[in-house]
Amino acid sequence: MDAVVSTPSLRIALIGVPNCGKTALFNRLTGSRQKVANYPGVTVERREGERAALDGRVLRILDLPGTYSLSPTTLDEAITRDVLLGRVADAPAPELVVCVVDAVHLPIGLRLALEVKRLGLPMVLALNRMDVAAKRGVHIDMARLATELGVPVLPTIAVKRGGADALIEAIQPARWEHHRSIAAPVWQDATAEDAEQTQVDLRGLLAAVGYAAPKESHWVARFDAILLHPVYGLLVLIAVMFVMFQAVFSWAEAPMDWIDGGMAWLGEFTAAHLPEGPLSSLLVNGIIGGAGAVLVFLPQILILFLFILALEDSGYLPRAAYLLDRMMGGVGLSGRAFIPLLSSFACAIPGIMAARTIPSWRDRLTTIMIAPLMTCSARLPVYALLIGALIPAKAVGPFNLQGLVMFVLYVAGIVAALVVAWVMKHFAGVRQYSPLMLELPDYQWPHAGNLLLGLWERVKIFLSRVGGIILALMIVLWFLSSYPAPPEGAIGPAIQYSFAGKLGAMLEYLFAPIGFNWQISIALVPGLAAREVAVGALGTVYSMSAAGDDVAGQLEPVIAATWSLATACSLLAWYVFAPQCLSTLAVVKRETNSWRYPLIMAGYLFALAYVASFITYRVVGSLA
Amino acid sequence: MAQQILVAVIVAAAFAASAWKLAPARRRLRALLALDGWAARHPRLAGWRERTLKPRIVRAAGTGCAGCAANVGVRPQHPPR
Repeated sequence: MDAVVSTPSLRIALIGVPNCGKTALFNRLTGSRQKVANYPGVTVERREGERAALDGRVLRILDLPGTYSLSPTTLDEAITRDVLLGRVADAPAPELVVCVVDAVHLPIGLRLALEVKRLGLPMVLALNRMDVAAKRGVHIDMARLATELGVPVLPTIAVKRGGADALIEAIQPARWEHHRSIAAPVWQDATAEDAEQTQVDLRGLLAAVGYAAPKESHWVARFDAILLHPVYGLLVLIAVMFVMFQAVFSWAEAPMDWIDGGMAWLGEFTAAHLPEGPLSSLLVNGIIGGAGAVLVFLPQILILFLFILALEDSGYLPRAAYLLDRMMGGVGLSGRAFIPLLSSFACAIPGIMAARTIPSWRDRLTTIMIAPLMTCSARLPVYALLIGALIPAKAVGPFNLQGLVMFVLYVAGIVAALVVAWVMKHFAGVRQYSPLMLELPDYQWPHAGNLLLGLWERVKIFLSRVGGIILALMIVLWFLSSYPAPPEGAIGPAIQYSFAGKLGAMLEYLFAPIGFNWQISIALVPGLAAREVAVGALGTVYSMSAAGDDVAGQLEPVIAATWSLATACSLLAWYVFAPQCLSTLAVVKRETNSWRYPLIMAGYLFALAYVASFITYRVVGSLA
Repeated sequence: MAQQILVAVIVAAAFAASAWKLAPARRRLRALLALDGWAARHPRLAGWRERTLKPRIVRAAGTGCAGCAANVGVRPQHPPR
């Protein structure tokens, strides 16, 4: 099947087993910055990038979700197979496949390579992590491997600059234009005989290239003995989480003070240099008092993500998944739910999407339904504001009380998720437990580059939210809080006579039983767009309520002076449960292809939030 | 007076931006496609729409398996009957 010569571009697909370094290689080849982590299941969608070939043509490179076989068991694996077979609309079959194989764990990658080779597509084999393989004494006769497979075999180190140079040289269009297939490849699911034959071929191939499994190092075995121990491992996990939340409060104090001071100075400077009027009020109370109040929490978010990224890169997280598997199984969750739920600590949206790796529909639905209960980073500003305002920064033994409360809130989200999963299990009837099959990655020191890149991505996401939807909503809220103007001879703050004030007064009837005042009630409305918007909204509403006093950058003392402890605790309880994020509900609709599940999710989470806030308000109120 | 006009423009832009950002991605995409006639008269803005705005919304619309081209017209995962 000869080919079409001088087509303008070459379509290349990267394929490999999970966690073999495909996305790192994709980033190296395309200059992209897709998320990579040291555990399987990070990529659940195909991604496309481009690179200019040496002759000026374009290499279109596809990064596909990891798969162990071309006979898929999950949705993300099905995407990989369908792209390779050209079954995807607007995406013809690739003209060249780069099969990425982790050189340290050669057998598992080579099995997939043998399947891909059967498709008949032109293929290059990239032996990734060759540096680690060399260190661990893994020997591979690459020339022999290339001869046996009949495809070029190239060493790569995806995480190092220049680590993919040989591969780049090998995928130039000029080398492949006479090998392009014009027919879509055909695949038939493997029979038991096929699988057996593949295994025989694989053994022969491994013997021919002189592969011997790497020896496990002594210290890895020792680490695993502790970290995977059912008691010690759990204690280590709790300690790690605990230190993380202590650090969020202790380390962030100074940079938060700088930003807070900067916002207060900016507010005063703007007020002093602009004539009194609507423009000055909009800038000081609406923009600086609103969006500025959210900006203050950037250092805490970065510290939290520094820990999460370091744990991701080190290889610890899959071990935590293994530890928690039994507990999760007890409440009816699939072991595969750990990674989606873990992703939900950053944001529920990637977590819900990562649930595609769960083969059973019921298990997947349960994971999707509880993902919003994991404490996402958007809750952090709300928690930090209320804890900072009403919980004293005193030491309880060796611990910081504020960090302790934050830890309890995170645990409350996890416990609530487990309880909901247990209820769903009993509601849906007893199911067969699907065990967790997870390849434990090697331990490694977190790469400074990966950490910096991950933090930079968080900074960009946070600032684009503050400068985008939060800023726009704060301006809208300022308008609704300022107009119409109070009537002649009115007493009390002008905001009470505005649209927002009237809305707050109406909502107060609904929220008074759980201790929310009219300012909180107003803030919850724009807070539906995203949780952290509520902090900005409180900043704007209190700025407008302060009858001319500038409270930009000083929200904490205002809350400390005007709210009771019961009200603050009630609002914290509300935010543990309430689905105050429209994007999450929209993604649930897309992932389940139905409005039924997002509506059920919103209903049960709002009901839980109201009940939890009511109980918290009454209990704390009576104790106080 | 100038101050009030400026504030009115900023507030109107904020209302429009909020409505746009909170609208579902597919509705935003449909709104963009409905502007074809207008785009023909404003080539420079149309270029921005094609190069920047549309790919961004398409990416947002595709964040989910129902939006994936692999599943056009297919119920990707449905509950067992």
